[in-house]
Amino acid sequence: MASREIISYDKGVAVKILKWVSPVFLAFYLVWALLPLFIMLMASIKDLLDAFSVPEPGDWAGITMFFDFSPTFTHYIALFTENNFGTYLFNSLVASIGSAIIAVTLGSMCAYSLSRSEFRFKKDLLFWIISTRMAPIVAVIVPLYAIFRSVDLVGTLPGLILAFTTFNLPFAIWMLKGFFDGIPYAIEEAAQVDGQNRFQAFLTILPLAAPGIGAFVILCILFAWNDFLFSTIIGSGGAKTLPAATKELVQPQNIDWGKIMAAGVITTAPMIPLGLLVRRYLVAGLTMGAVKE
Amino acid sequence: MVAVSFKDVWKDYGSGAVAVKELNMNIKDGEFVSLLGPSGCGKSTSLRMLAGLEHISSGEIIFGDKVVNKLPPKDRDIAMVFENYALYPHKTIYENLANPLRQAKVPADEIKRRVTEAAELLEIEHLLERRPQELSGGQKQRTAIGRAIVRQPQVFLFDEPIAHLDAKLRARMRSELKHLQYKLGVTTVYVTHDQLEALTMADRIAVMNDGVLQQFDTPQQVYENPANSWVATFVGEPGMSLMEMEMTSVEGDMALAFGSETIKLDQKSAARLAAAGKINLLVGVRPDKASVSLEPLPNGIQCEIYSRQLLGADVLVEVEIGKSRVRAKADTSFGGNVGTPCHLNFLSENLYFFDAEDGKVIPQ
Ligand SMILES: Nc1ncnc2c1ncn2[C@@H]1O[C@H](COP(=O)(O)OP(=O)(O)OP(=O)(O)O)[C@@H](O)[C@H]1O
Ligand SMILES: [Mg+2]
Repeated sequence: MASREIISYDKGVAVKILKWVSPVFLAFYLVWALLPLFIMLMASIKDLLDAFSVPEPGDWAGITMFFDFSPTFTHYIALFTENNFGTYLFNSLVASIGSAIIAVTLGSMCAYSLSRSEFRFKKDLLFWIISTRMAPIVAVIVPLYAIFRSVDLVGTLPGLILAFTTFNLPFAIWMLKGFFDGIPYAIEEAAQVDGQNRFQAFLTILPLAAPGIGAFVILCILFAWNDFLFSTIIGSGGAKTLPAATKELVQPQNIDWGKIMAAGVITTAPMIPLGLLVRRYLVAGLTMGAVKE
Repeated sequence: MVAVSFKDVWKDYGSGAVAVKELNMNIKDGEFVSLLGPSGCGKSTSLRMLAGLEHISSGEIIFGDKVVNKLPPKDRDIAMVFENYALYPHKTIYENLANPLRQAKVPADEIKRRVTEAAELLEIEHLLERRPQELSGGQKQRTAIGRAIVRQPQVFLFDEPIAHLDAKLRARMRSELKHLQYKLGVTTVYVTHDQLEALTMADRIAVMNDGVLQQFDTPQQVYENPANSWVATFVGEPGMSLMEMEMTSVEGDMALAFGSETIKLDQKSAARLAAAGKINLLVGVRPDKASVSLEPLPNGIQCEIYSRQLLGADVLVEVEIGKSRVRAKADTSFGGNVGTPCHLNFLSENLYFFDAEDGKVIPQ
């Protein structure tokens, strides 16, 4: 028993140090993560003069200058009146939600069949599906552009949705297959005996995969919403989304910081509640494991 | 409702795992048949093939005069209790029970009536608003039974439906299920590894071992005239003991040589064994037809006590003779303990005779 106490004493020191270090680390991390967002928000409601008034290095008292301004929404108003941000916001919404719905519908059906059926080369097929996500987007964007050009999809919302779906679908299949694997087939067998056909039985168990499907829809939306490359190349012209539009506020002769910051806020704001949601769903989904009866 | 038959049915799970071999069985309309056998003998597989949940490797399953091999479960008009319950985890117990009725488009008030009725019968009416994960194992099992009995299908399929209930509830459920089946007249296949359930409930018992149907007969026949030595030892509790014996003759009369002992035969058994003409036999005796005594008996066999177990009303004494062991029932006042020499006795008309080579019963 004595040796055991010595071991816990050793551990005690490490734990004590960790206890001190981790809050400090977390505090730094919090500042690191939140400060840019905070500055962005502040800068978006200041006029240019206020935004660039910074205290001298070392002048800590001058930090109050940062909060010394009268808030203005001119940048936001200008974005929507001068820069068509209404359209871009609409494009972002349609492209991300549209691709998420398509990917999740096709993906859940595909994942279901891959989970329930056995056939030769199934493993190879699964690997092939995920391997389409292994190449970086930049590597495929040029041929994709050529293809989309030839079928007149460049610069259209359906084109952009198709591009996002191409990239979200393999991910959907893999993620949802895991969820369906965790749902005992016996439940569908019971449904079939109760008088349902295969498809009705699938619909019966669908609510059990709901946490996974919910999490996945949100991840899809996040991917499409934050995407820059597809939106600038495939979407350029008629289907620009918020990130691509924000980039265009950087002109060679004039960088409009106020508008850029406001656009950043517009782009980020809807994703924060979504991020919190995905956290809840993901945790619920991933800890669900096998469905308990 | 409908007669059900298996015709040369095989089930091969692939990779050499043959679960059911050449199953032939004709179940009559309205009959209660029990599939009895040890774990892994292919009972569930057979039942699942009946339900249409398992592909039939070869052979035919026939409902009435219709081959159902290609018919999906929903078109077979069956109700099944699954071995692992398979309740809908996200639905309340009420909805679990109501689901088959909803599929059959039964009107809402009729659903309510039937679900309540089934729930009362199964003593789960206070649980109807809960979900399956808030139930105990036995309560889940009763829910699974309820889902099957809320409607009146062509065939009931039960896969060990009461295995997880306590002894008292099990006894009650046995009679409730039997009553219900008799009243509705639904053809029933009931899988169990509990021979008491099979013997008490079934009109006929199908005894299976290792994927092969051993015997398909009434409970009485299975118990009294087992088709082979395997069935003989499997059915009956405590089980029958088998002894290796050889035909011999003593002073011109037929007798059995058991180690160094000889056992005289009654006339009927002697005639039966003479007709069969086998030399090596497996001879079985049920514990309640054998007796042990510490005093020497007229035809007793010298032996030694191997173990002694209290059964309640009496004791089960296992004795050792050479390399054979024989179980016999004795009075609780029986004084012997492990290692005590004693004497075993039985009447030759109570013996069961099997061919030592293939285990088949010697014909009467
Ligand atoms: N999906 C499967 N794949 C391969 N082999 C299987 C499969 N299901 C069952 N088996 C095998 O088939 C045989 C029969 O199984 P089955 O489930 O019918 O047994 P059982 O008689 O119902 O046993 P228990 O009383 O334990 O439920 C077993 O040897 C089992 O290992
Ligand atoms: Mg089984």
